[in-house]
Amino acid sequence: MATAAPKKRTAGFLSGWSVNIAIALTALRTNLMRSILTMLGVMIGVFAVTLAVAVGNGAQTSVMESINSFGSNMAIVIPQPDNEGGRQSFDRGRLTSRDMRAIEREVPGIRALAPQLRVGVDLVVAGTDAGTTAVGTTPGYGVITGHDVDRGRTLGEADIRSASRVLVLGRTTSETLFGDFDPVGETVRVNGVPFTVIGLLEEKGSTFGNDNDDTALMPISTMRQRFVGDTLPGPDDLHLAYVGFEDGVLLPQAKIDITNVLRDRYRVQGDDVNPFTIRTTQEFMEESQMITGIFQAVLVAIASISLLVGGIGIMNIMLVSVTERTREIGLRMALGARRSDIRNQFLVEAAVLCSLGGAVGLALAWLSGAALAAYADFPVPVGVGVALGALAFSAFLGLIFGSYPAIRASRLSPIEALRTE
Amino acid sequence: MAKPASPEFRTADRASNSSGRPLVETRDLVKTYTLGGEQIHAVNGVSLSIEQGEYVAIMGTSGSGKSTFMNMIGCLDVPTSGSVLIDGIETGAMSSDDLALLRNEKIGFVFQQFNLLARTSSIDNVAVPLIYAGIDTQARRELATEKLIDMGLGDRLPNTPAKLSGGQQQRVAIARALVTEPLMLLADEPTGALDTRTSAEIMAIFEQLNAAGITVIVVTHEDEIADHAKRRIAFRDGEVIEDRPVENRTIAAREMEQESVEEDA
Repeated sequence: MATAAPKKRTAGFLSGWSVNIAIALTALRTNLMRSILTMLGVMIGVFAVTLAVAVGNGAQTSVMESINSFGSNMAIVIPQPDNEGGRQSFDRGRLTSRDMRAIEREVPGIRALAPQLRVGVDLVVAGTDAGTTAVGTTPGYGVITGHDVDRGRTLGEADIRSASRVLVLGRTTSETLFGDFDPVGETVRVNGVPFTVIGLLEEKGSTFGNDNDDTALMPISTMRQRFVGDTLPGPDDLHLAYVGFEDGVLLPQAKIDITNVLRDRYRVQGDDVNPFTIRTTQEFMEESQMITGIFQAVLVAIASISLLVGGIGIMNIMLVSVTERTREIGLRMALGARRSDIRNQFLVEAAVLCSLGGAVGLALAWLSGAALAAYADFPVPVGVGVALGALAFSAFLGLIFGSYPAIRASRLSPIEALRTE
Repeated sequence: MAKPASPEFRTADRASNSSGRPLVETRDLVKTYTLGGEQIHAVNGVSLSIEQGEYVAIMGTSGSGKSTFMNMIGCLDVPTSGSVLIDGIETGAMSSDDLALLRNEKIGFVFQQFNLLARTSSIDNVAVPLIYAGIDTQARRELATEKLIDMGLGDRLPNTPAKLSGGQQQRVAIARALVTEPLMLLADEPTGALDTRTSAEIMAIFEQLNAAGITVIVVTHEDEIADHAKRRIAFRDGEVIEDRPVENRTIAAREMEQESVEEDA
């Protein structure tokens, strides 16, 4: 018995798809209001997800920027027992200037050191006063933090040696005391002691909500003599220290090196708790990256729910569309449409519906991002990658949620579909 | 009133089955439905052949099984048992894709309710089967235009069904049925939704098509329509009760001539 030679109909593959798109557009135009309402779901979903991703990226960027502004490639050493291992120690930690000199000698790649004392002080000038945390430090502080002066000069070695009463003001502190006037050369009383302002620091912004400009620098020696008193266990003790490294130095190794020097000096044995804690900017970055990553994931997860609801809306409408057009499906089958032709027609329709909704949602997200950046001063970058991803994902969503209705349409029996009223 | 179409059908390129096999052959064809636990034999063991070039009327009342029979020879419905051979090819074992291809290439359908796509121009309606034949856009437009001109609708190419009369819509549907150059035309109550005069127009078209070599199978319950055919097959209770040549055929072209003479008088 002869059987039909199954002819391949490949010639019209591309034109077939363009026809499917044309059929889809016609169908969508025919029910314009319904199409728009259906798209609304996907639109809001894509809008929410895109914005969530962008806000997350923006948060990441601004956190990175502020950590960088705080000072890149450095370790912070604090005289607090490191309880990270879970072992508790109630001993007070230690950190001294001599420790710093030992670190400088033994750890390679150091660019500068900034031993610090920090004391809350009251600054007064002509009846105006400002409370701030004064930092007693060395010239290394400016080198590590990259915090330069706008006016006047910063601390010099001579200031440290002579324990002179000089002050370098942060922008916020200066504005509180002097408004827009140049503070250089003026006298400020620090807890009643007169100091001369020698410099004004450039604006630095905030890190983790801390205003880096709300500060006043003075020589570490001056602070020790006049404000620390006997609050520290020894005459040489520090509140904390920055260790700045050259570019290219690997911070995890540097941290190990510093740890070894200090453990040696404090004779820490085996599993005993270190009486100091070392954190590096790299750790801060990794941690904040993780936190902003989680933050972003939570936002995206919440936003995805709206996208899911939008997708279900698409499926719902496609099912209605298939039911309404059962007779058309039967007719197309009678005229030679294969099951795959019918399936593709409805898949394309769902994908077009989703893509259009996605494109509008993306445009709205981009506009919102631009508005946020302009008015809220928070970068919300809707990048090309995010945009393409959103479009591709909404088309994909159409294929996923369109496939059940499309397959249902393709499984109809030609004659039963044709008989439907 | 539009003048009846006077198409000149090309016969040279008409596909024909040179094999001498019947175009449609059924063997012990049975279709059984189960309705409320009761078995209904819609078609009950029908064996017949229809040769290339025939003009057949399939008669019967509603429920006689004539439509079910037509759906099976049109490869739209699957028999419960027995077989349908189209152009000598057994269709029982064919996949749904192969059946779709077979319908596309060899069978042209004309329906009572025209079944045109709404809000779609005549030319796009006629081009639909060509999409599934894998013909490119340009060729689709050309072939569809040609067939619409054949049907006397050359000035109605961009019109949607809503802008066409019933007779014009049915002529668009016939153009669509013919656009893939099928071997046979299967028409299910093609004049059921038309007035007498328009019906005569449509029957005249079938006559001309048949004269050009296309096999025409018309399903109808009206004797007036069946009398246009050359052969008459009547169904009752799922069985063929009559299969004979039509004597004193009504010639639609002549009918229409008479009508126009009466009008002129």
